[in-house]
Amino acid sequence: MPDALLLIAALVCAVIGMGWLALAMDVHWNQVRAAGRSPRTAIVLRVLGWASLAASLVLCLMADTATMAVLVWMMLLAVAAASIAFVLSVQPGILAPLIAFNGDSPRGE
Amino acid sequence: MATVSYSSWHVFSRICAGILGSYVFTWGLIALGASSLIAAGTEFHEATSLVSMLGFLVFLCTFCWAFVAASVVRVWAVLAGGGALMTLSGWWISRALA
Amino acid sequence: MFASFRLSFAWLHTWFGLVLGFVLMVAFFFGSLAVFDREIDRWALPQTRIEAQPMPSFDKILASRFATITEPDPEEIEAASKRVTKPLPDKLTPAHFGAYTTHRDPVLGMYVGFDVPNSTLPDDHAYGEITIDPRDGHVLPRDRLALGSAFFYPMHFSLHITWYDIGYWIVALAAMAMLAAIVSGVVMHRKIFREFFTFRPGKKLLRSTLDLHNLTGVVALPFHFLWSLSGLIIFAGIYFPVLDKMMQPLVEAHEREEATHTGLDTHPSGKPGTLASVDAMVTAARERWASRGVPGEVGFLFVNHVGNSNASVSIYRDSTDRVATAEGLHFEGATGRVIFEDPPTGPIETVNGFLSGMHLQQFKHWTLRWLIFFGGLLSSVCIATGFIFFVEKRKHAHAREGHPGSRWVDALAVTTVTGMVVATLFVLVMNRALPEDLAHRDTWEKTSFWIAWLLTFVHAAWRSGAVLQARMSKAWAEQCWVIAVSGALAVVLNAATTGDHLGRTLAAAYWPVAGVDLTLLVSAFIAVIVARRLQQHASHPSPATASLEEPEHA
Repeated sequence: MPDALLLIAALVCAVIGMGWLALAMDVHWNQVRAAGRSPRTAIVLRVLGWASLAASLVLCLMADTATMAVLVWMMLLAVAAASIAFVLSVQPGILAPLIAFNGDSPRGE
Repeated sequence: MATVSYSSWHVFSRICAGILGSYVFTWGLIALGASSLIAAGTEFHEATSLVSMLGFLVFLCTFCWAFVAASVVRVWAVLAGGGALMTLSGWWISRALA
Repeated sequence: MFASFRLSFAWLHTWFGLVLGFVLMVAFFFGSLAVFDREIDRWALPQTRIEAQPMPSFDKILASRFATITEPDPEEIEAASKRVTKPLPDKLTPAHFGAYTTHRDPVLGMYVGFDVPNSTLPDDHAYGEITIDPRDGHVLPRDRLALGSAFFYPMHFSLHITWYDIGYWIVALAAMAMLAAIVSGVVMHRKIFREFFTFRPGKKLLRSTLDLHNLTGVVALPFHFLWSLSGLIIFAGIYFPVLDKMMQPLVEAHEREEATHTGLDTHPSGKPGTLASVDAMVTAARERWASRGVPGEVGFLFVNHVGNSNASVSIYRDSTDRVATAEGLHFEGATGRVIFEDPPTGPIETVNGFLSGMHLQQFKHWTLRWLIFFGGLLSSVCIATGFIFFVEKRKHAHAREGHPGSRWVDALAVTTVTGMVVATLFVLVMNRALPEDLAHRDTWEKTSFWIAWLLTFVHAAWRSGAVLQARMSKAWAEQCWVIAVSGALAVVLNAATTGDHLGRTLAAAYWPVAGVDLTLLVSAFIAVIVARRLQQHASHPSPATASLEEPEHA
């Protein structure tokens, strides 16, 4: 797989991972879905988030030598986090698909 | 922020201790560290690079300490005194080596 | 210093952040530009708009070019004359030659190091430099300013204050203040994890500015820390010359020991000698790299003890594929046989090499280099929002008391944020607008930069009177408009004076010039948006409240 594609995939994983980690927080969950959220969902989101960030690192390592890959990953995380923060500040609804799998009722389960 | 009745002189002393005191301390650390490591058999460039890199981190710590420590006199004693002692020891060891 | 740890750190963060922040803006902004220094060079020097070239033949081209450097540059002679105990002789002896290039360089840098006799420094040299076109060896005129590598890049680490190298020290203090600001910022920021993604632009300016300051500071925290630290480490020899100043006997003992096991003499033999074919040595080096699976071009070529019987030639690979620079291969000058090959570095030196290589990013990884560029811009936003927060927090109180503090901080903030960008764009405009064959063109360009910057300060100082009434200074919006116009003008002038408009450079995929033009246009566009937002905000001023949820901010 060409390096450019690997890095794009790494970026996408980083952004999605940061999105999941953000939505694991009450304040940001409430920006996307007014309904409540169960504690179990928060844990699932955190696990998914960190797993996605780890996947991003693996993709970086596939694209480059270890020392370069770590630097690329570190910077991608910064870009990803900043992007999620901006999306949350202007149009949080964009992140709704990230929690589409979750069917928590307003009272939480 | 809570109002503080520290004089400008005290603040100036903290700043000097933070910057100049840290510089003397770091200089001494590099002198003592490099000569000690070389005396213990560490390769020359490995020793000098290690103490230089650590030196900047130590500087950061002593710089911050100068502003959070309760007593600026203690800061001066440790940084300037310690720095001078380390510089002298380091120089003395390097003379024994060369 | 204060009642609590956190309060002391808050004081440290505020006051060192404020005072050294002005220097840090320069370091991080021009550091970001320096990522693309060679590309900016090509934009500024149209005669170098060719493809990147490998190092040319030493025997056929470089040798004769080195011979044309007969004395150090005037500034070097002047600086050296301050370091000597006796007046400098008319003719200085060349000690070593160097030539360097990277995968991005269309032109080649060459220098000769001349011995400085009777110097107070050990092993002192003064340098003469030229730049050549590698295709035919013709020397480029000296007074053409390579805006990227010779102006923006040195600005970033020395502020161009060369008087006793004080600029280097000021930047160092600023770098240390940055590290302390990061540590103190983390200590102060109680909800650092909870507010990791928090940015509320809709709230009052004070809150949204702090949000943005925290956001840009925290998401790129490893970058801010690593680049500040590595910048200091790169110049450790300047800041802590402990061994040179205090342990010369130990240094010399080591040099002797190293010379015996490498076969490379520390001092020239004093006996005349000739140089064998350096091209043959380069070929041997490239064959050796290829046989190891790391084929490459020469990045740095160094001839030591020029003209002596014990001259040596050191060849280093342009390490495009790794972070740290490559190890060197050393040849005996007279015979061309390999004397010594640098072994792989020990663990500490590897870390050191990684940190330097990371900071200088000469490797070939465009994604990473762009990411580093944006990292530097994030740092700049962090620092700039710090200034804005400082002013916003105090301006109402200061307006009531008639205190000029906020006003002057605001004026300086405008100067180092928008003003710095205005000056940068102005020098690009002047680079295209000045007549091509103007004598001392480099001095004209440099002077125009400093004058433009000074004028932005004058403008900022005048407009900051509004801050005395707790209103926003119009200078921000007005300088944004100047940025927008200058950015667009630079692109237009490039097209008009060189014919390399975006249509042509994009079609030819000549990215250096196309990239600069596109960045200029994007910057102009962003400046327009910001200017309009600022002017909208000015016509709907926020109420005069300075209440804050975090009282311990300084």
